[in-house]
Amino acid sequence: MATYSIPVGPLHVALEEPMYFRVDIEGETVKGLEISAGHVHRGMESLALQRNYFQNITLTERLCSLCSNSHPCTYCMAVENLAGIDIPERARYLRVMADEIKRLASNLFNVGIMAHTIGFNSLFMHVMEVRELAQDIKEGVYGNRMDLAANCIGGVKYDIDDEIESFLRTQLKELKRPMDELYRTYEKDPLVTARTKGIGILPEKDAIRLGVVGPVARGSGIAYDIRDKAPYSAYDQLSFTVQTETEADVRSRALVRLREAIDAISLMEQCLDRMPKGPTVPDCLPDIPPGQSVARSEAPRGELIYYLKSDGTDRPQRLKWRVPTYMNWEALHIMMNNCKISDIPLIINSIDPCISCTER
Amino acid sequence: MTPTTSDSPFKAILPYRDVIHTTDSNGNHFGWVDLPSPEALQITGKRLAEYGARLCTITAFNKKKFAQDGDMQMVYNFDLDGAVLTVSIPVTPHDRRVPSLVDYFANADWHEREFAELFEIELTGRDAPKRLFLDPKIDTGVFNRLVPLSSMMNGASTKQLWETIFAETSMPDWAKEAK
Repeated sequence: MATYSIPVGPLHVALEEPMYFRVDIEGETVKGLEISAGHVHRGMESLALQRNYFQNITLTERLCSLCSNSHPCTYCMAVENLAGIDIPERARYLRVMADEIKRLASNLFNVGIMAHTIGFNSLFMHVMEVRELAQDIKEGVYGNRMDLAANCIGGVKYDIDDEIESFLRTQLKELKRPMDELYRTYEKDPLVTARTKGIGILPEKDAIRLGVVGPVARGSGIAYDIRDKAPYSAYDQLSFTVQTETEADVRSRALVRLREAIDAISLMEQCLDRMPKGPTVPDCLPDIPPGQSVARSEAPRGELIYYLKSDGTDRPQRLKWRVPTYMNWEALHIMMNNCKISDIPLIINSIDPCISCTER
Repeated sequence: MTPTTSDSPFKAILPYRDVIHTTDSNGNHFGWVDLPSPEALQITGKRLAEYGARLCTITAFNKKKFAQDGDMQMVYNFDLDGAVLTVSIPVTPHDRRVPSLVDYFANADWHEREFAELFEIELTGRDAPKRLFLDPKIDTGVFNRLVPLSSMMNGASTKQLWETIFAETSMPDWAKEAK
């Protein structure tokens, strides 16, 4: 049988962002894969060294759009860890709310694109219609549909009054039924199941070996979630389940994302119920001392880690972040081994790749 | 980060007495250790792999910010079932080699390719890593050079583009004078 190579990307209809895959094919079957990055490398870590600690909140929020709250939030946590800043109790809950609305919208976007990739466009449009309720929440509460600008060093920049709380509760209630219906469709619809079950398998042992994170790891049975293992903000006060699946395929990863989106609604409601009154920022902030710190959060795509080194000036000596997608690319070699050409976009989408995050 | 004297989750894993143990405001555990030389990293990496640690990230930086060809530091962050251990090693200008950890942590590959490319650090114990990000025409070690912010953001560009446009476009005299 003839063997040849086909290029996928860097600009390709199946890719939302630029990445280059050279795929070795034997007939219709994938036999080899080479991944080339670098098409949107912007040198943002270097930029971070030339901006002060406050300016870097704005910079990190612009790393990417779908997980744009996770970056400034984790960055602020790293600064707070270094300077020993305790954030007010109310701000802890408000940070969870901003994180979870972004998780809900991000996960829905991914499973929506999955429906589009398998040719189920009416489902894709329905998912995006449901997602509009989440987008309305972002626009209504934060004034923006993507970058929320919710975080600041020591707390948050927004608050919720009675009117906004009422709006939020109504929107969250409206999301519940369509979310349950969507979950049942992805779980039971024969077309979705036929195209996603048994595709792009990543066995648990390979997931551990490659150190994958987030829904990719949890879809392979690894019950690891930073919100549970190393809680931050108010997650230690809230009730949620670490979602896992064991089939380790495209379908498993989609089901984990959908259940986490449903959990996000519950987490936001718990925040509204339990959030104490009080300030959202401390009265004053200390100088940032020399030293180093680490902070982690569970972004929609998995563990996000920030390392901060300070020389005592108003700008970081080094700021490094490792995004979840960075850890998940190599798993494609396992997932795509011996898959069919038609499954390539489906499998790539199943790791929910964020290329602008990866390349910084 | 608050130093703590409570039972350290790192004591059983690393024999070093000087592992500093801190907690954050949520009570999460962090360990910090400075290894004396790059060679000690391989022993530590092997030990951490045996205990089921997961490599989170690797960071390289100049000890003196924006210094070129000066002393550097490599920082390795590992996850130990929820606790984060940060291991630092020095890299001198005379010997920019560090041992590879790919034999113990398969996910070290991308991290090592990245810092080898951006900071011109040589890896021992693995084949020469393929570049990860930048165009091969760009020199390695580009992160070690100071690039002015205006240049990086393309704010400072040559006049070539506008000169070409002016030359090829008919425009009123007042516009030509304004250039």
